[in-house]
Amino acid sequence: MSAFLQYVVNGLTSGAFLALVALGYTMIYGIIRLINFAHGDVVMVGSFAGYTIVTTLVAQHWPVAVVVLVALVAGMAITGGLGMLIERVAYQPLLNSSRLAILISALGVSLALEEGVRIIFGAGFSSYPNILPAANFSLGGAHASYVQLVMFGLCLLLMLGLYLYVHRTATGTAMRALAMDRDAARLMGINVERTILLTFLLGSVLAGASGVMQGLYYSQINFIMGFLLGLRAFTAAVLGGIGNIPGAMVAGLLIGLIGSFSDGYVSSQWTDAIIFAVLIGVLVFKPTGLFGERVAERA
Amino acid sequence: MIKVYIGDRYVYDVRNYAALARGAGTMNGLGLRAPVTAVLAALALTAAACGSSGSGGSGSSGGTISIGVPVPLSGDYASAGTDILHGAQLAAKKINAAGGVDGKKIKIVSQDDACQAQTAAQATAKLISQGIAIAAGGYCSTAALPELSAFHRAGIPFVMDASTNPQLTQQGFPEAFRTIGRDDEQGPIVASFITKFLKDKRVAVGNDNSTYSKGLAQSTVSALKADGAQVVFNNALTPGQSDYTSFLTKIAQSKPQVFYYSGYYPEFGLMLKQAKQLGLHFTMMGGDANNDPTLIKTAGSAATGALVDTAPLAQFLTSAKGFVSAYQAAYHTGPGPYSSYEYDAVGVAAQAIKAAGSTSPSKIISALHGISSYSGITGSFHFDSHGDRKPVNYIVTIVRGGSFAAYKKLDPSTGQWVNVS
Repeated sequence: MSAFLQYVVNGLTSGAFLALVALGYTMIYGIIRLINFAHGDVVMVGSFAGYTIVTTLVAQHWPVAVVVLVALVAGMAITGGLGMLIERVAYQPLLNSSRLAILISALGVSLALEEGVRIIFGAGFSSYPNILPAANFSLGGAHASYVQLVMFGLCLLLMLGLYLYVHRTATGTAMRALAMDRDAARLMGINVERTILLTFLLGSVLAGASGVMQGLYYSQINFIMGFLLGLRAFTAAVLGGIGNIPGAMVAGLLIGLIGSFSDGYVSSQWTDAIIFAVLIGVLVFKPTGLFGERVAERA
Repeated sequence: MIKVYIGDRYVYDVRNYAALARGAGTMNGLGLRAPVTAVLAALALTAAACGSSGSGGSGSSGGTISIGVPVPLSGDYASAGTDILHGAQLAAKKINAAGGVDGKKIKIVSQDDACQAQTAAQATAKLISQGIAIAAGGYCSTAALPELSAFHRAGIPFVMDASTNPQLTQQGFPEAFRTIGRDDEQGPIVASFITKFLKDKRVAVGNDNSTYSKGLAQSTVSALKADGAQVVFNNALTPGQSDYTSFLTKIAQSKPQVFYYSGYYPEFGLMLKQAKQLGLHFTMMGGDANNDPTLIKTAGSAATGALVDTAPLAQFLTSAKGFVSAYQAAYHTGPGPYSSYEYDAVGVAAQAIKAAGSTSPSKIISALHGISSYSGITGSFHFDSHGDRKPVNYIVTIVRGGSFAAYKKLDPSTGQWVNVS
């Protein structure tokens, strides 16, 4: 029983990081019908931005709490800027061309980011200094660290913030309107270009937060970390119904749990096979995902 | 021989493409028809872009002897591959400074095998087309297997510095040599350490499904069973992930006293860190691919007390002191685990070429077998009939104060584990 609980704790932790990334996929798909294959690499850039900041500040003996806060905020700002830059350079000129063109452009951005980071930071692994306290507690036989708890809470808080922003503000309403019908939204006086840009900003900020938090939590990062992470997050976005924001949050946690249970009850070597079998299963049997209704409407 | 020019600039001689050009149309010297010239130029550019320099196909001509070094220069193991390449370059520098081999300079030609079977096959083809006399290098067994088969077909000897999979020298290829021990020699030593020194009876073994890791895990498991230990867990993980907490939780369910991981350092470093976070208390021990400072950087204080068995590092060998300081001076970093074995691989290759008095691969092969004792920086050794290094030695290191320290070694005369002096 305690093992089961431990698997749940482990799964929720990796799932929370995943959910933040899945949100970016789903928001961007919702608004411009693009599966942004560069999104996982934006997470990776966030991790490396955080790494640079953390190592620099730790070397100057800043207090840990300040270092973490600065790294998180600056990491989110950097990826937010990067997301907007990518949109302007690689996607906006192609918005009205075929979907294939913009997809290829996304793959190009992905490779450019990976190779760029490889050239700057090298192909090996970089390790965040282990600055977070390792103190942990036991709950019904399962171990969790306080850091884990704080990070999980932070992920939920960011998701809640995004949900409220999209559903309770005028800009959020504009985003949702755009997702329903871009031309009609434009006729209603919505600034389409600005709203798309803002969507990329939000998605990339969350990606950056996930990247920095994963770096702080797991320590070890490298330039291709975004690839597998991106595929898993994409699976979560599809599972939750692509374009559906609460769906991506729940499905992110769910994919984390599936991975953890697979590691625990099946075998770690089968985990990727199982997760991507879920992707295929969803696409074949319920293409609208667990919570999605909009995709059907689109098709 | 055809020389390809773009403008006035000599780009590449395309001896290897002559047959192709002959099939493509009429040609006489430089008076090729334009399309043929274009094709040749394109081929030459491709070859040039792939890392070959000016005078391709000159394994033995022009006063240089090319030694091919296939290693991962991209991907997860690029840093290990770079260390190995540096080892080869240092060896070539030393040999050349002493006048080379029979007045010819050694030239190191490297290709990236990315630690992947497919890339490795391409890398080998490129090396062979660059006219190497002998190959020395390799890191992952996964890549070394196709490399060795290709070198076997081309009849070129391949001295491996880090690939420890038993299969490599057991296929009966006369071209296979290695300056490092085999996994099935490492496995019994690991089992002996666990059962005789740690005196643990319940052992969990993990691997990452790569050829190397699986081979080491298998030989360790059978040796453990032979030594009377109980293997309570034996399974593979998916490498390249960040979270192994559930894998570790599953291991903990089998209540082991020690967990031996036969995979590579990125995963083991994460596992050391996450085992501490999960409050797990069994001993963690890693195979010889875990001997990398990244492990300690990632795991931080959680790495303290972790055990890693390894072929002795250059730092632990008095015979390699000069090499360590030369490496430090040249590359401003430590020499890594395998660069000293690569240094010896290039060194023994050069000695064999000298003894053969020729760069004919078949003569080099018999010269390699003929060496009765090569005194390298990793100790004196020779090759047995399979091309395996004899004798081999392994030690166990422990992480203390943020670095690997020599811990115990097997005393062959008494069969006891003693301090590394």
